[in-house]
Amino acid sequence: MIRIAAVGDVHVDKDVVGRYRPALEELPDRADVLLIAGDLTRHGTVDEAKCFATEFGGLGVPVVVVLGNHDHQSDRQDDVTRVLTDSGITVLEGAATVLKIGGHRLGIAGTKGFGGGFKGACASNFGEREMKDFVGTAERYADALRDALRSVQVDALVALTHYAPVPETLAGEPLEIFAFLGCYQLGQAIDDAPTALALHGHAHHGSERGRTPGGVPVRNVAHPVIKQAYNVYQLLSGTVDTKDTQLANV
Amino acid sequence: MTKQIDLEAEIHRLLAEHDRIAEQGVTVQRRENVLVLGGEVESAQRRDEICRQITTRYPDLEIACDIGITRTQAPAEVEEIS
Repeated sequence: MIRIAAVGDVHVDKDVVGRYRPALEELPDRADVLLIAGDLTRHGTVDEAKCFATEFGGLGVPVVVVLGNHDHQSDRQDDVTRVLTDSGITVLEGAATVLKIGGHRLGIAGTKGFGGGFKGACASNFGEREMKDFVGTAERYADALRDALRSVQVDALVALTHYAPVPETLAGEPLEIFAFLGCYQLGQAIDDAPTALALHGHAHHGSERGRTPGGVPVRNVAHPVIKQAYNVYQLLSGTVDTKDTQLANV
Repeated sequence: MTKQIDLEAEIHRLLAEHDRIAEQGVTVQRRENVLVLGGEVESAQRRDEICRQITTRYPDLEIACDIGITRTQAPAEVEEIS
């Protein structure tokens, strides 16, 4: 059994430090790892990244994150990543990490992702340079997620993004902005690997549950959607746990 | 109340682009005599700043603020994924 705590869109700045901490202190009793689906900060500044690291660091469980669009606002995403990494937080962008939990191997592959839309209402890589750049960016992030998901051999594989891979978890948002909230290419990438669970944020007015076309469960963990400090998802129920990491992959 | 046609769009951009706000999740709905703000933010200071900035930009506008502060309690349940 693996228990994954997850939240997104926490938008930490000085005024938020301390709000999550009481619930986070309970994490080691409730989950094996905490995943955060982007928009860690308000404006993507170094000071805000330090506030995030103060609030979400040193928890007693591994913390794995992707950045969101807010974390790019100040064009300091590399510095933000460095602050978080120096604080012991794993930041994924087109990369994967493997954790050994209870004798199982948990793989987490992450990317920020991008917009572009979904079937019947998506942008095409055609026309003006600006439009080709927009769709090309979405494709690049999706390809990076696919490669990251396929790069690990694990017992349970989780995809972590900021932008949505399916439209179902956007229900509640205006249809007119779906193309700015996610893209179908992320869903394709998730379906091209043996993914057990896909987590995303970004859609504050969206819905919690959906599935990719290939049937992978998708959960929108944006903080205003889940309305609590984090959700907990259980994978590999019914498996035998052990402290012997040599049994990983059995 | 202002009759400005693009008022909702201008307020959405103000809330996203103002360097002390940066909120994209606030809803803006016009009623007959009042502008209703909805959604949730991470602190009371942010909610108050949103109202302050809109009032500063549009002093004749009557605002009803229904913006909530997102709760941060620990969860009571675990969802089993299958």
